[in-house]
Amino acid sequence: MLETRNLDKSFGAVHVTRNVSLKLERGERRVILGPNGAGKTTLFNQLVGELTPDNGSVHLAGEDVTALPVAKRARRGLSRSYQKNTLFDGLTVEENLGLAAAVHTGNATQLWSDSLAKPDVREIVEEVAEQVNLMPFIHAKVSEISYGVRRQLEVGVALATRPLVLLMDEPTSGVGPEMSKGFHDLLNNLPRDLTMLIIEHDMDLAFDVADTITVLNYGEVVFDGLPEEARGSSLLKEIYLGSWEDA
Amino acid sequence: MFRHNALRCTVLVLLAAAALFQALTAGYFGLEILTEILILAILVLALDIAAGFGGMVSLCHGALMGVGAYAYAILSAKAGLAPPVAMAAAIVLTGSAAWIIGAICSRSHGIYFIMATLAFGQMAYSYVFEAPVFGGDDGLGGISRLDLSFIGVDLNDSRSFALFCLATLGAVYGASVLILRSGLGRSLAGVMHNEQRMRALGLTVWRVKADVFGLSGLIAGLAGALAAQHIMYISPGLLSWTVSGEALVVVILGGLGTLVGPLVGAAAFVLLKHELSALTPHWHLVVGVILIAVVMSRANGIFGWIEARWDGRAERRAVKAARKQKTKEVLSDA
Repeated sequence: MLETRNLDKSFGAVHVTRNVSLKLERGERRVILGPNGAGKTTLFNQLVGELTPDNGSVHLAGEDVTALPVAKRARRGLSRSYQKNTLFDGLTVEENLGLAAAVHTGNATQLWSDSLAKPDVREIVEEVAEQVNLMPFIHAKVSEISYGVRRQLEVGVALATRPLVLLMDEPTSGVGPEMSKGFHDLLNNLPRDLTMLIIEHDMDLAFDVADTITVLNYGEVVFDGLPEEARGSSLLKEIYLGSWEDA
Repeated sequence: MFRHNALRCTVLVLLAAAALFQALTAGYFGLEILTEILILAILVLALDIAAGFGGMVSLCHGALMGVGAYAYAILSAKAGLAPPVAMAAAIVLTGSAAWIIGAICSRSHGIYFIMATLAFGQMAYSYVFEAPVFGGDDGLGGISRLDLSFIGVDLNDSRSFALFCLATLGAVYGASVLILRSGLGRSLAGVMHNEQRMRALGLTVWRVKADVFGLSGLIAGLAGALAAQHIMYISPGLLSWTVSGEALVVVILGGLGTLVGPLVGAAAFVLLKHELSALTPHWHLVVGVILIAVVMSRANGIFGWIEARWDGRAERRAVKAARKQKTKEVLSDA
């Protein structure tokens, strides 16, 4: 469903992505682990088109999308959530989801009708609000909801575009342990045919949700395998868990 | 997204009532001032849609109004088209020009967007100033007004023309609300809040901006066609960047991104101009001081200042009512 071939990116002398090749099958849930500065978010930015790789290519559903801009990749089914909330603060939860759903249904540029009143948009808004447990806050403004609920909305907005592949950059970043547990259930309850690539520091969530795990270090893939293999990997412990001990 | 509240509705009704009263009772000069306010109000509504709701601060809306005025004048007076056809064509032409400007400039932001629109405005001004077909510095005269005699209305009468402009302003306001509440308007609100996220959702951001700028241009073109009919004479000064600057001053003075505020701003600006210019030739200085005071007060213009106080009062009232209710509950429990 999503594939990168020999992706490479440098900022001056800093080599942030080194020959990264990944292949995600339809419905696969892959978690990317790695210490700070490993190049995880930079890789995401190249996947969605916010950064152009120096070399290599990105393929979505068999099509080379490397040359496509961000919006076109999104319309082909590549959606992402951000590490820092990028919500529409003055709008309600419903309007936030509605904006994304309107783009997906082609109602975002309609001049003669309110996109949020369209049945297809409403259907997506209600379904996603149920999926990410936002129904109790549906009419609340973003500025009125807690940080944890905003993280749910961040994922909800990405989901409302009905993506083929959902990229989530640290969805539980900054949320407490209890809410983080809720996120495990939320992610596990998403449709099984949705392909997900998740950057995550929460090890419990990573091992709970992931079908496969990829570890990046200094922009390079140093581990690619099953969660069980990752648990026992001495290399992973040295690179990733080791960095915890050092800290 | 744009929403009406009690205050906005009240101010709208008061403004409409005042304008209607003035249109029905004022003498010639009063009607001329009222018509000037109404045409300026249409122009600043156009600017508010682009700048207040889309973040596209434009310094070419004066030029767009000028394009509408010149297109109407040439098509009706020189090409011999019937005034309604010439007016419709002038509006469409201005909207199309605005869409192209929007499509090009929407790839820039902030000061660069402002400078790009200023460049387009000045190009239009210079061309009209120098091209003989537009009458050069002398401008064009002999412009006729729409003929509504088939419904018994003579627009050559100042009162009828003022009422016509008032009705047009009402229709433009209604259309502006519909635009802002449409799918396009919602997307514009999304772009205004977070352009990067809207792009990541799959929206072609430049297209939304160009469409809104084009619609804003249609309204500016309408203001221009009415301005040409009002004075029945036009000159290149109408396209000058100072007209765009004045329109921006009016929007900021009234309240950016409120739709109602620019209407208040248009009335305040024209009345100030006429009253102060009777007292001193340096009336711009006074308007400048007022604008600085408005900007420094951190209020969103005159209407924004009123709205902030109104909201604060409503909030205090709600807190007071909640406290009263709690006290009642405590006492009844005791």
